[in-house]
Amino acid sequence: MRILFAGDEHPYSAFALKELTRLAMNTWADVTLLGVQAAGASPGPVAPALNLALNRYRETFLNSWEGEDSPYAMSNWQYEWSPVKENLWEERLVCKSGKKCFQVRLRTGNPAAAILNEAREDGSDLIILGCTRGTECLWAGASGVPQKVAADADCSVLLVKEDQPISRILACLDQTYISQESLEILNQMVTMHQAELEVIGVNPEGGLKKEVYTRLIEIGDYYQDRGIKINTRIIEIADLESLIAAEGQQDLLALWMGKKSILSRFFPRDWVGRLVARGQTSVLVMR
Amino acid sequence: MAQSKLKILILDDEPIVCKRLKPSLEKQGFEVDTFNRSFEALQAVQNTKYDIIITDLKMEGMDGMRFLQEAKKIHPDSEVIVITGFATMETAKESFKKGVFDFIAKPFNLSEIQRVVMRVEAKIRGTQG
Repeated sequence: MRILFAGDEHPYSAFALKELTRLAMNTWADVTLLGVQAAGASPGPVAPALNLALNRYRETFLNSWEGEDSPYAMSNWQYEWSPVKENLWEERLVCKSGKKCFQVRLRTGNPAAAILNEAREDGSDLIILGCTRGTECLWAGASGVPQKVAADADCSVLLVKEDQPISRILACLDQTYISQESLEILNQMVTMHQAELEVIGVNPEGGLKKEVYTRLIEIGDYYQDRGIKINTRIIEIADLESLIAAEGQQDLLALWMGKKSILSRFFPRDWVGRLVARGQTSVLVMR
Repeated sequence: MAQSKLKILILDDEPIVCKRLKPSLEKQGFEVDTFNRSFEALQAVQNTKYDIIITDLKMEGMDGMRFLQEAKKIHPDSEVIVITGFATMETAKESFKKGVFDFIAKPFNLSEIQRVVMRVEAKIRGTQG
């Protein structure tokens, strides 16, 4: 598993970092910490406030493990060629993490595009980022960044709005295809939070759709085979927004928004952002 | 002289995982057998020496941890890669204590597992001289 953490210097990024750390502790995923700044924002490579934040996130993350338990312990020394200026390279001795990859990167330009490009080029399976509470969803002082990332990413996205323990995951599905990857991300989240899982079938047109019911049974069987108890229920698609707005403080809202999802077919693209914004706490968009 | 193909065993109770992995590893030049039940996989290990074993952990009957322990008893130099959809820090640590080569949480890209398998191959070929 490869996780991309996009962090800025605001407090919600520290909350998101906690989620990243917990997930990495379980999964030993390859991890990239990404900072984004406007082109020309600083005469040096990184603006001081962002540099400080990235240093803090790196140290917090790496110090979360005790001694030799860390798969990210810096133990792998090797020589690498680094660019000094145009047409000049220098061989430098660098130290890299041992068992699993850990790297800190900086991109410049439009924040949402930078995050999406990094995830695409790095082959990320999950993007984690924080944002402000409420419907505005600010990231690095700009509105709409988390919504755009959630709407346009090829992989799953976890948006962390505040530091809350998660005791229940509300996973909303429709009758269409559920990718193996989305189930796997959901399973890792259930395992990490030791959370109760409730799968909500979203009925697109009123009345009981046979396909929604069939999907719920399949999901129920999948988890029964793995000894995991889940609750299921069906709601109308018109009620989805009010359900999201009414979720509890310790709920993680998980939305299947894959390419073949009826949720993304029925709702225009910005609806993903709207649902994400309506979420009270953390939101997982699954692909 | 052409090197002999390395043999890989994949054990995962989800057929879709085996279906994804088998062709991609075969394309890389490995001989691949897949199993969805751990007891059948263990029988295969008793009859065939696999160079690389890729196993899921959470399975009905004999789980992956027990399977890898049994497989290592039969062929201690088989290299094991654990793949799991329900990862915990304990299972990661225990896997390495039992001598696995790598621990990969699901979901993963095919390229991720291909890279790990290539590292195992380099280790095996290096050892074999």
